[in-house]
Amino acid sequence: MKSVIAAAGAVCLAAYVWVYATGLAPTPIRSDGFSYYVYVPSWFLYHDPTLASVANDCCGGEFPPYTAIIRWRGTGRWVNAHPIGVAVMQAPFFPIAHALTRWTNLSPDGFTLYYQHAIGVAGLFWTIAGLWTLGNVLRRYFTTGVSAAVLATILFGTNLFHYATFDSSYSHAYSFFLFAAFLYTIERCSRTPGLAAPALAGLVAGLIVLVRHTNVLVLLCFAPAFPRDMRRILVASAVLLLVVAPQLAIYYQATGRPIVSSYGELGFNFAQPRIFAVLFSPQKGLFFWSPLLLLACAGFAILAAAPHPARRFVAPAVIFLAVDAYVIASWWDWQFGASFGHRGFVDALPLFALGMAAFYQWAWAAPPRRHAVAGIVLCAIALNMFQTAQYWTHRLPFSDTTWDQYRAAFLRWH
Amino acid sequence: MGSISRSISAVALTRRAIAALVVAATAWALLAYLRDPPWLIAITSGMRPETMDASGRHYRWMGGHASLFVPSDARLVSIPLRTTFDAPADQPVTVSITIDDRPVDRIVLTDAQWRLSSFRLPPRGPRRVRRVDIRVDRTRDDNRGAAVGDVTTVRTP
Repeated sequence: MKSVIAAAGAVCLAAYVWVYATGLAPTPIRSDGFSYYVYVPSWFLYHDPTLASVANDCCGGEFPPYTAIIRWRGTGRWVNAHPIGVAVMQAPFFPIAHALTRWTNLSPDGFTLYYQHAIGVAGLFWTIAGLWTLGNVLRRYFTTGVSAAVLATILFGTNLFHYATFDSSYSHAYSFFLFAAFLYTIERCSRTPGLAAPALAGLVAGLIVLVRHTNVLVLLCFAPAFPRDMRRILVASAVLLLVVAPQLAIYYQATGRPIVSSYGELGFNFAQPRIFAVLFSPQKGLFFWSPLLLLACAGFAILAAAPHPARRFVAPAVIFLAVDAYVIASWWDWQFGASFGHRGFVDALPLFALGMAAFYQWAWAAPPRRHAVAGIVLCAIALNMFQTAQYWTHRLPFSDTTWDQYRAAFLRWH
Repeated sequence: MGSISRSISAVALTRRAIAALVVAATAWALLAYLRDPPWLIAITSGMRPETMDASGRHYRWMGGHASLFVPSDARLVSIPLRTTFDAPADQPVTVSITIDDRPVDRIVLTDAQWRLSSFRLPPRGPRRVRRVDIRVDRTRDDNRGAAVGDVTTVRTP
């Protein structure tokens, strides 16, 4: 398992270096990555949680519209569409970048060379930490070989690889780690007595909410899997509230209310969800771009029908994935802007991993089935890596991909 | 058996000490290199890719803050600057320039013409390059603060 994680880290790091050394991507802190990160320099360089000082330095006093940081009507203060969770998890990397910046005499403004790559590498680090954590969860229920195969498939057979390298400053790598850690803490809560495990579960749950508010749904769906012990539930809830409190304080300071829709007037259309498009379209369909996740769906059915210890995760995972798909499909921009595959589902890949492990275990039991599945998986991984490279080199559109565009680019480099 | 295990732990300790020494030496060498790296002169931040105006002048748009490096043996530095005045309500833009965080010039762009910020550099320090930071007090649409032309330097003979 260790060698798989080490190899995954080495491949991701090599890809990261390739992306930035060849100029395929301009800088790690860009697009959504800017607004996720902007809190870090605001806290540590300007000691100003209002974001106004960063706005003055980076942008002449006004954040440009693409940053999704808006002036709140009524107070005139800055409200960031993206919450503070990613910045909290990026914070440990910041002092190293700042010290090196001072040492080399680069501009200590939070956006020069070392800050950029500290944040780029932070996303990669949390992806690998997520794989390691997920591996620990899987090994409790499946063999080491199956667990390792699942980790390799999740990284190289889905868009996780892209969000670990090319777009590593986005929130998805962070949520991927946190979902894996959440599974780990739930599993640990049911295995070990005491209050340390529930406190850890509360911390992870709080960070999940801080990174992406709508992911609070995963906590609700998995609540029945938490041990029924009032003292431990209280500890987990108290830690969760403590972790989330700074975000509520920031919203209150900026708007006068602790809970707001930070996207302003942009929102959900729950009456007309684009379910089919979100799951199957060439534009951003989850299963169109990551077809191996269909094996995970089959694995959930296998797991549900078997007396397997991991079976208790099936109902919460499937309910969450269904609700999550509905919420994503109802968002005004159901494609989530430019992305490789549908980035909204990267967060939930650790849940898919459980189903995938069950499917691999089933396939492993009979050699002909094993060889057929191995062949299909290897082909799908090769296709995914090729399409990732096509996306990076602009051979595939960043959004609104049509079937004709996909067909024209299919397995073509020139 | 006791002496064997002692000798194994001694080997392990020696290996760890060597590994720690190698890590420390590598870190020291890396830090020494990063103190004054030769590629720093080519580093800029806060600026977009180069473009050209109708008269053939090359320039780059900066946002609210940009930085670049000049050779430390430069005596005089000149930076051409301009901004746009597309709307009647567009306010003048004040540009502040610092060298290694010390203020050296401040000019106000009141029309769309190119203006030249020229300033003398303090005596050279121990490094190969000096950092120039350019800041504006406001930006136009799309976070365009000022257009920065080709920076020229006059070096110490």
